[in-house]
Amino acid sequence: MTFLNLVEGPLFYIAAAIFVAGVAYRLIGILRLGGKKDLARPNGSAAGGALYTVLRHFVPRRTFWRGSSFHFFAGYAFHLGLFVVLLFAAPHVAFLQARIFGFGWPVLSHWGFILTAEVAFAGLILLWIRRFVDPVQKLISTAGDYMTLILTFMVMLTGCLALQESHESLRATHMAFVDIWLVYFPFSGLIHTFTFFFSRAHTGATYGRRGAKL
Amino acid sequence: MHTQFYSLRNFLKLSVLMLMLAAFAAPVAAQSVRPPGNAVNLDDGAGEGPSNALGDVSDTQIWDNFRGGNPRDLLAPAPEGQVMTTTGQIWRKIRENFIRKYLGWAPLIVIGLLAVFYLIRGPMKISGGRSGKTIPRFTLSARVSHWFMAGVFIILGFTGLIILLGRPVIAPYLGLEANSVLTSASMQGHNLFGPLFIFALVWLFIKFVRGNFFQLVDFKWIFKLGGFFGGHVSSHKFNFGEKSWFWLVVLVGIVISTTGIIMLFPGLVTDVRWLQLSTILHALGAVALIAVAIGHIYVGTIGMEGSIDGMLKGEVDENWAKEHHDQWYEDVTSTSAKEKEGTS
Repeated sequence: MTFLNLVEGPLFYIAAAIFVAGVAYRLIGILRLGGKKDLARPNGSAAGGALYTVLRHFVPRRTFWRGSSFHFFAGYAFHLGLFVVLLFAAPHVAFLQARIFGFGWPVLSHWGFILTAEVAFAGLILLWIRRFVDPVQKLISTAGDYMTLILTFMVMLTGCLALQESHESLRATHMAFVDIWLVYFPFSGLIHTFTFFFSRAHTGATYGRRGAKL
Repeated sequence: MHTQFYSLRNFLKLSVLMLMLAAFAAPVAAQSVRPPGNAVNLDDGAGEGPSNALGDVSDTQIWDNFRGGNPRDLLAPAPEGQVMTTTGQIWRKIRENFIRKYLGWAPLIVIGLLAVFYLIRGPMKISGGRSGKTIPRFTLSARVSHWFMAGVFIILGFTGLIILLGRPVIAPYLGLEANSVLTSASMQGHNLFGPLFIFALVWLFIKFVRGNFFQLVDFKWIFKLGGFFGGHVSSHKFNFGEKSWFWLVVLVGIVISTTGIIMLFPGLVTDVRWLQLSTILHALGAVALIAVAIGHIYVGTIGMEGSIDGMLKGEVDENWAKEHHDQWYEDVTSTSAKEKEGTS
């Protein structure tokens, strides 16, 4: 068995299983925390408040626009770029079709991929830089935050370096980083991919029930 | 009838014998027969060049016919449909005999010189030490634009050097396969991050152009060799060295960006000479920037105490500002650097 067979075969399935189990464990753990029952008569809809807050927080309020515009642009560039590349890059779709789903979907053209990857890289690098040049953000950043950034950067970088698909070793390096990333995901800040929804929804529901919009 | 048969058998025997003789004798005859005096032998035995199909035309003439372009006028339009061009030959020689042979030494020479300088001179300390008081030097967005350029530049520098020098430098030590892997990866990375360099360059220009125009005080900086060998040099927000570095990045950056686009999209140009020129200018410009960037990194880190603070924290120590950028210090604080020095 070659290293490539190993990292995109058994190790990938193990990493994917840890990812799924880990995410489920973290989310169930959050849901089981529960909360003190609010005995007051509701002044508004908790569900409506949750939905409103989940959606409203995708765009910063005008008051905070000046301070958060950098994160808005860099953040969206990175996240949207990453998701588009992750879900629509031709090699990814081919891999997911062959290994997991058994069916494929439309893919990005080569230049579509390049442009999207550039947007994602620009966003990630800017967010990374901001972390060590902004005194406040530097203060609240942990080693785990940097680890998350570096690992995500390496997954993206090795994937792009293997774009020519001419050497197995480059693909194997990318897959090895993907496996590590999948295992690391549930137990790191990367879990915000799922928990942001719960966080916003909880806040929105709490205030929505009180008749306030947040 | 019998006589006829007998003679037929003898004829057949004689024919077979003749054929056998001819078969064995042919190679010998070919080797022993001398060519006529006026024959032209185009087969030089090296297995190179065309056969003598063109008769009495010499190798030089044949290759000349293959090659288009006037060696005395490189800018003249090259005739179409030529296998080789004069400029192509010159380009190949420059690339093989100069760029790939010597250019890679430039960054190593700079590192060596800086190491020697550091050993002799040591780091430039803030005379009087840190005051503990800081003044703002670079805004957050200026710092982010600087580090964005730095990050992209480092990735492009490494991948570019591998593409340029992989064959002569990496392949002999790590093997052809390893070099092939590294070059393939580097090419993809270089092409991907190249456009980000253009974005970074524009951003950097907008953020730093103010204060980077040359002034009279810069001449003093030149005459005092930037204070690297002692003595105080006066300067505004940016000294002559920083201004030169800024304009080098901008101007060479424009050249690198333009030539990079041409190489990435060769269909943009119709004359192959633009591509040849682009590869040479791209390599020369990039290695020049890498070499000077090493010096910039040296001064910004271990070479000069307190200089990296401006780019990391956005603030610099007051004593550092007074020592290296006294006129800027006076502008910012509305206080004479000497006056303040006396009171602190």
